[in-house]
Amino acid sequence: MKKKVLLMGASGSGKTSMRSLIFSNNPASLTARLGATIDVEQNHVRFLGDLILNLWDCGGQDAFMDSYLTTQRSTIFQHVGVLIYVFDVETNEMHKDLEYYRDCLDGLRQFSPDAAVFLLVHKMDLAHDKDATFERKKKELHEHSEKLGQPTPSVTVFGTSIYDESLYRAWSSIVHTLIPNAAVLSKHLTIFAEACSATEVILFERTTFLVIATSSSPTSPSPGAASQELEATRYERTSELIKAFKHSCSRVREEFHSLEMELPEFSAVLDEMTKNTYVLIIVHDPTIETAALKLNIRMARRKFEELQGLT
Amino acid sequence: TTSTTSVPKGIARTKILLLGQRRSGKTSIKEVLFNALPPKQTFYLETTMRVIKHAYDTVIPLEIWDCPGNVTVETLGAPLSRFSALIFVIDIRDLYKQPISKLVEFIIAASRDNPQLLVEVFVHKAEKLQEDDKIENFRQIQERVQDSLMERECEQMPCNFHLTSVYDHSLHEAFSKVLHKLIHSLPFLEDLLNVFCANSQSPKAFLFDAASRLYVATDASPVDSATHNLCCDYLSMLNAFGPLYRSSTSSATRLRIPSVEPSPDNPSPQETKHRFYPSAAASLHPSAPGTTLTYHLITPHLALLALVPTGVYEGRRGLLEYNVVFFREGVQEICAVEQEARGG
Ligand SMILES: Nc1nc2c(ncn2[C@@H]2O[C@H](COP(=O)(O)OP(=O)(O)OP(=O)(O)O)[C@@H](O)[C@H]2O)c(=O)[nH]1
Ligand SMILES: Nc1nc2c(ncn2[C@@H]2O[C@H](COP(=O)(O)OP(=O)(O)O)[C@@H](O)[C@H]2O)c(=O)[nH]1
Ligand SMILES: [Mg+2]
Repeated sequence: MKKKVLLMGASGSGKTSMRSLIFSNNPASLTARLGATIDVEQNHVRFLGDLILNLWDCGGQDAFMDSYLTTQRSTIFQHVGVLIYVFDVETNEMHKDLEYYRDCLDGLRQFSPDAAVFLLVHKMDLAHDKDATFERKKKELHEHSEKLGQPTPSVTVFGTSIYDESLYRAWSSIVHTLIPNAAVLSKHLTIFAEACSATEVILFERTTFLVIATSSSPTSPSPGAASQELEATRYERTSELIKAFKHSCSRVREEFHSLEMELPEFSAVLDEMTKNTYVLIIVHDPTIETAALKLNIRMARRKFEELQGLT
Repeated sequence: TTSTTSVPKGIARTKILLLGQRRSGKTSIKEVLFNALPPKQTFYLETTMRVIKHAYDTVIPLEIWDCPGNVTVETLGAPLSRFSALIFVIDIRDLYKQPISKLVEFIIAASRDNPQLLVEVFVHKAEKLQEDDKIENFRQIQERVQDSLMERECEQMPCNFHLTSVYDHSLHEAFSKVLHKLIHSLPFLEDLLNVFCANSQSPKAFLFDAASRLYVATDASPVDSATHNLCCDYLSMLNAFGPLYRSSTSSATRLRIPSVEPSPDNPSPQETKHRFYPSAAASLHPSAPGTTLTYHLITPHLALLALVPTGVYEGRRGLLEYNVVFFREGVQEICAVEQEARGG
């Protein structure tokens, strides 16, 4: 199953930067070297067995935008699963950004009326009072979207920056909407967590390290109260930490494979679950050995391959 | 310009003087290393107006004096003889006379008051320049310092130069090298590391100060920067992971971490051995002859990081753990002797 994701927004707003962080494991410091994207750069990312993300990074210079909206209109806006529109938090041309955003919504309505819409207020690291700035921007974008006939519940706004975990939070939520069996995976992770006496279990996509599912998803009641009181940003920060370490390893031409930790606060094992996923098991019970967790992962592999239709 | 900020009294601390022009990066260096400030945040640091003394406990107790740019030998508030090292920070783009003549003044005073003083020059913000300019400015600064020392007939004071930046690992590497010269027990720590490496088939092992990510000792094999950087990054990931999944309700059962002082209910060193010491292992390479990066906490401050063949890690785990216990006992003994000698 292919899902087309449109990544749009003004030139310089940071689209290619985020794509290179999430999908190519490049560090934030290298994004300063990126040139403007010419026309559309397409990426295919295999995500969980049969889900293929078809990412369209659309260069944001006016000439390209005008052509997307006219001559290339049907090519661009057909079969879209998700539109991600990026606004630079420091833009001087919000007015123009909003006009192009409106035109893109028109294009979607014409060719892909069911597409989901995500708006990213990007480069949040540059904002002074982050919370206030984000709330103001979010309100502005929701009000504007309402006026364009896009009611607030149908538009999700995230504040992001390539310099912290916020990018992983936004992208994890976005891909989550595309995963057809996320709820089933979540259910099986809960069973698996119980088998391991784990506080929680998290499943990551292998190359991006975006969160695919967790044993304590906010919709289903969690196995224990314990996971409720954990740090709210832990998933996206885990993605960020592992991605950064994977990059460190690649700099010495090593490949990261797995991790086990017995820390004062918890024990954890991070290891391959299936061909394209990694699993992180978090245990607070001091009597559980990491070796037992590794064994459990080995035994659960087949089941999770089946769930993903890999066998 | 001088004042005292409270530093716990009692033990004799090794004092390090941080000097340099305003905005050269002294406070940034201190904050990034010893207060875990993210490098990007140094942008918001305010100008230091008075001497700030920062106590830091690692294998030896340190006291870092972060000075305002205009401090002189006279206004420092302590004779140079009380310091073990002077780190002079120069912005790599600052090729003018001022910083160099200031450095030279201090070196001349030191040659009179404290000829043992280690003088280390951090040519800082190095990441700002392209490779060629970087090397050229680094060379010019060294040359100018040596020339003016010669003019003042003061060549006998050796001084070392390092390229540093808070944005990469160069600062950690340079500061580690300075630290090594201050640790009198270094040869003993190195011996223990050599023994550990030989017995564990490890090609490289570091004893790190966990919080600052400075390494206090390593085995005899040469340090290659890439390996050092990887260990530094590994430590930084583990440091960040620690608090991420903290749970207040379940931590009570897990709190077995060694504390600085023996607690009343666990006073004997015999029992200390059975305490819980955090550990971790990251395996690199998915296939057979891979490397495993191990982490073992040795004291509340120090962690052993080693590259171990994955075969040894998986197949001879017991032996490896035994080697760690042996190493830990040695290091703890050295630390105890050190603490006693300093009146702690
Ligand atoms: N401060 C900050 N800078 C960012 C962030 N994300 C990207 N940038 C910088 O923004 C600049 C432009 O980024 P690109 O990713 O090339 O922008 P783009 O949206 O792909 O531009 P076009 O391809 O022309 O449409 C680069 O110099 C990035 O380093 C961020 O979160 N914070
Ligand atoms: N580019 C770069 N800037 C740095 C570096 N270290 C410090 N700075 C910046 O230099 C400025 C002055 O730093 P500060 O530590 O206050 O200098 P001090 O007056 O010597 O204590 C701050 O804006 C820091 O962000 C570095 O390694 N590279
Ligand atoms: Mg681009």
